[in-house]
Amino acid sequence: MEVLLGITGKDFTIICASKAAMRGATILKASDDKTRNLNKHNLMAYSGEAGDTTQFAEYVQANVQLYSMRSGTHLGPDAVANFVRGEVAKALRSRRPYNVNLLLGGVDPTTGKPSLYWCDYLAALAKLPYAAHGYAQYYCLSILDKHHHPDIELDQGLKILRMCTDELKRRLPIDFKGVLVKIITKDGIREHDYVDDKQILPA
Amino acid sequence: MAGMFAGPQEMMGYSFNTAPTSASEPRQHSFYPYTDNGGSTLGISGADFTIMAGDTRSTSGYSINSRHVPKLFLIGGEGPKNKGARIVLSVVGFAADGDALKEKLDKEVKMYKYQHGKPMTVSACAQRLSHILYNKRFFPYYVHAILGGIDEEGKGALYSYDPVGSYEREQCRAAGAASSLIMPFLDNQVNFKNHHIPGSGEGHDLKPVVATPLPKETVIELVRDAFTSAVERHIEVGDGLQMMILTKDGVEEQLLPLKKD
Amino acid sequence: MSSPFSINGGAAVAMVGKDCVAIACDLRLGLQSLTVSNNYPKIFPYGDVYLGLTGLATDISTVSDLLRYKVNMYRLREERAISPQTLANLVSSSLYERRFGPYFVSPVIAGLNHKDGKPFICGFDSIGCIDFAKDFIVSGTASDQLFGMCEGLWEPDLGPDELFETISQALLSAVDRDALSGWGAHVYIIEKDKVTKRLLKGRQD
Repeated sequence: MEVLLGITGKDFTIICASKAAMRGATILKASDDKTRNLNKHNLMAYSGEAGDTTQFAEYVQANVQLYSMRSGTHLGPDAVANFVRGEVAKALRSRRPYNVNLLLGGVDPTTGKPSLYWCDYLAALAKLPYAAHGYAQYYCLSILDKHHHPDIELDQGLKILRMCTDELKRRLPIDFKGVLVKIITKDGIREHDYVDDKQILPA
Repeated sequence: MAGMFAGPQEMMGYSFNTAPTSASEPRQHSFYPYTDNGGSTLGISGADFTIMAGDTRSTSGYSINSRHVPKLFLIGGEGPKNKGARIVLSVVGFAADGDALKEKLDKEVKMYKYQHGKPMTVSACAQRLSHILYNKRFFPYYVHAILGGIDEEGKGALYSYDPVGSYEREQCRAAGAASSLIMPFLDNQVNFKNHHIPGSGEGHDLKPVVATPLPKETVIELVRDAFTSAVERHIEVGDGLQMMILTKDGVEEQLLPLKKD
Repeated sequence: MSSPFSINGGAAVAMVGKDCVAIACDLRLGLQSLTVSNNYPKIFPYGDVYLGLTGLATDISTVSDLLRYKVNMYRLREERAISPQTLANLVSSSLYERRFGPYFVSPVIAGLNHKDGKPFICGFDSIGCIDFAKDFIVSGTASDQLFGMCEGLWEPDLGPDELFETISQALLSAVDRDALSGWGAHVYIIEKDKVTKRLLKGRQD
């Protein structure tokens, strides 16, 4: 019941992740942050098996930063995505694979172009205009199919996101404790103050 | 659909199976009431004709039982030779069930004429066949049936069935082992799927070519092309091609050779 | 359905023509019945030789990346472009290296030989057995349908335009009968000193 959502627009990428940390049917925490900043313009959201997720996220976060320190260059969204995929793929055929699903949101600081990569635990990587993981796929992709356009402004993107989270609240049987929304632009990553207190009643 | 009735994966097409064990251990025998006898059939209906076709090879596993076991049957008409029959049934899958189904339908169509004093229409026969199949819903006839005839308006009629009696009237249908090879070819060549009028637009604005009924000679050529293609790539298809051409004048049967390898 | 070859879905086909070859793929990426992307090309250029990969999406990326590295190293060491025949052997040996833990891909190669300009196509199984074909090679979840289409439509010595029509019709009609493939296609027509890449729209369902 973990929710990961990503939407790109004209000059931004929105990454959205549910705030509930769950173990089985128990909610342990209602303010979980399932994202990691890989560098100034790249954000990774993750879901999957409990230990694997943070372990993997911190590992790639450290290595992306190490690469930039050594080479004195920054990694763009495509480079980051392919590096991260490579690490999931390497682990996939090892003794203990990482059971993690990822969304990699970024903005290329030189071109200003937004990007969103979808990567599952099998390390299948796809560059998409909008993406989701888990049950959110079944509820949100059809909404995004209908309403998304690559040239949308941020406020329109957030409007579509609202439609998605409302639908999730309406249809998911377990409360995912709202979502954390982060926005990536050419100026970097910022957390968005996403008002999430309205009660959505089932249709 | 196939998955719903698929037998055990290891089965090589025989209904009996003995698990290999060492001499002292108890032996486990099993009986699976179905065998896949391979082969393929197809039917295409035109403006005033219907063509039914099927290969004549019968297989079980990698063995060829026979090179001449017809899958097309005349339904109704007079006597055991079905003289004057106007309906053709094709069955592919488990040949024994196919035979049983043919016998049952043939009997019922003949009884209909005996009791009502007029031959059964194709549409009535089609619905009857659906009921016969559904009557065995929980121990189905393991067959994919296609029924062909000429309807009350003189147009070619073709009905296709799943093993439990869902049916639909169609322009063309391929069934059996090589149906996945033949069906897209028929979509393309009979219903002109993916054909567009050149220069009528860009991308999705291109106007599709509307399917018009094909002349008989063209359809016969398509049937032969479909089967010679299927023979090349499917081991269960080959030996002979049985074709029945239904028109207002009756049924004409043709038998053409196919590769025997 | 849980075979690694049919989790993500996809189809590819290569064909020989007169002094030209063609290679085409669909654009779907899915997870079982859910479509994740409708723009996921499965053909990768290595100089003027083209490789089509269907199967498990992760291995499509892994194998295409690995071969890009190997082909680049070949070009640096040999100071010449790789020929289709050489690429075929490189793919074969790379796959066989993983004999007991294979990459779940079915590759297809199309190109013109650099020396004599002769069309070359071939296909592989997932452990590198090469299938040299004189006519066409199919791969992916729609391979049965592609076999039927190609066997029915293909004929020898097709010109580039006829070959484009043939391979496009074959692919589109084949993927329309496969739930795991489709959503448009990429088609490459490779001639002596020209490669034409076309995007086909196809059914969006």
